Amino acid sequence: MYKYITMFFLATLLNATDSRDLIIEKLLKEVELLKTSVSELKENQIIVQSKQKEDEQYVDELYDFAENTETRTLEDKLKFGVTFKTSIDNFSKEYTDGHKVTNSNMWSNKLMLNMNADVTSDMKIYTRLSMFKYWGSGTKHLYSNYDNMQGRVPSDSSLYVERAYLDWFFNKNSYIPMAITVGRQPSSDGPSHQFKDNTSRKATYSALLYDGAADGIVFTLDASKLISNKSSFFRFGYAKGFGYTENSTTVGNAYIGASDNDIKDTNVYGLFFDTTIPNIKNSLIQLSYSKIDNIIANQLDIEENVNIGDVDMYGAMVEVRNLKNSNIDLFLHYGHVETNPNTQTYKNYGGLLNAVGDNSSKSGDAIWLGTRYGFGDKQRYKFGFEYNHGSKNWVSLTQGSYDLYNKLSTRGNAYETYMMYVINRYANLRLGYIQIDYDYSNSGWFIGESKSINNMTEIDELKKLKSIYFKLNVNY
Amino acid sequence: MKNIISYLVLISVLFVINVNALDVELVAKDLNLSAGSKAAIQWKRVFKSERKMKRYKIDTLDDAIKISLEEYLINHAIDSDKPTVAGGF
Repeated sequence: MYKYITMFFLATLLNATDSRDLIIEKLLKEVELLKTSVSELKENQIIVQSKQKEDEQYVDELYDFAENTETRTLEDKLKFGVTFKTSIDNFSKEYTDGHKVTNSNMWSNKLMLNMNADVTSDMKIYTRLSMFKYWGSGTKHLYSNYDNMQGRVPSDSSLYVERAYLDWFFNKNSYIPMAITVGRQPSSDGPSHQFKDNTSRKATYSALLYDGAADGIVFTLDASKLISNKSSFFRFGYAKGFGYTENSTTVGNAYIGASDNDIKDTNVYGLFFDTTIPNIKNSLIQLSYSKIDNIIANQLDIEENVNIGDVDMYGAMVEVRNLKNSNIDLFLHYGHVETNPNTQTYKNYGGLLNAVGDNSSKSGDAIWLGTRYGFGDKQRYKFGFEYNHGSKNWVSLTQGSYDLYNKLSTRGNAYETYMMYVINRYANLRLGYIQIDYDYSNSGWFIGESKSINNMTEIDELKKLKSIYFKLNVNY
Repeated sequence: MKNIISYLVLISVLFVINVNALDVELVAKDLNLSAGSKAAIQWKRVFKSERKMKRYKIDTLDDAIKISLEEYLINHAIDSDKPTVAGGF
């Protein structure tokens, strides 16, 4: 019995020893595998660390590059823009006495240097220096001495400050954001002249009422949230239509201003309301009332000048760009003026829209409508038509007009049609035709009686004007 | 006056023909593309690169819509011509 028991134990012991060896061998293999894995992991870690270092260096390089670019941008305190126009005009003028004047080769250049500065996020300065001249002519235009026409009429190659104003925004994130605009205002080439230039709106006020340079102050109130209609603004403006400086007496280096005994400055007060047509994109409605007081007879006369009275000017306009994605732009402007003359007259020219001895109040109206249609690949071709009509006593502040002829001051009918080719997003060519049929005299002038052209035989009174023009326009 | 009426009739006809044109602004909105987020030259770059068009999901659009969208984004890019008014918000 003992013999069997001993044999059983020996057999078990031998079996156990074999199993332990196998386990140890297995464990050793696993340890080897683990060693290999750890070694591989270490190698990978070195590779990853090396790559990470490379990436960090790359990010550092990118950061330096971005910061250098940012520094340069921050250094650029002024942003420049330029508008350049070259034009050839072929016109013929017919006077009331029957004689005609033609010029078939009249070239001009216009340069506008725009400079803007974002002083802070709430304060921006805008300036525009303008040169407008005929080719080969260095003659200074007499009208360049009129403040609102500087840089706006073809003259010598001088650069005039057409715009220089500061926009100061406050309550920007409030329910009614506000802004004050002080300086030489954006009051030239306003709506809807931008269609002819293929640009966006370039001034605040309807060009039927205002076109030219003007020094003033404008308070803008953003009422978009208040009346729940986007781009709705109330504007209250004050400007000097004419500021008299007595130029024979100086204090230090400055002329002293006008005294109470001199002629009075011409002041312009305006109330404007801009809004959009609900659900019509790119639309603009503008309603306005302006009072022009103490209008002077002749800005350039310092000897016998007089104030001739006041004018109330009312305006309404609507324009739509790309109406319902139809590639059609439309605009319609209306203006109405009423005069309040005083008893003064200027030499033998008369008073405010009056002949000598007449102190009656006059009223005048004007409309201006137009359209433009874009067609062809990317609407590279644009066809436009404009028409304006002014009544016998129509007068406004467009003396620094967009076109050479101040067509919007016409007391009669004016037509303009053009075909534009858009070269690229900055440049275009335009071939156009303007015809002005004058019904009454003195278009554009506040002084003197407006008379029917039909009864006149004056040598210097225009009856009809025709002009074919070709323009290159670059706005960058 | 007769000429003006004829012209207005012509404009009305053109309007009716064109009024159903594609509103690419809505396409841009659907793709969450803000034209003012890039300069014109950067938008041009986007439309020249298959990878970038894929990134902005422009690659899924028809060619005609792509062309209109590119034109819209370039015309409204951050460096595009902006309106100028007193107190321009």
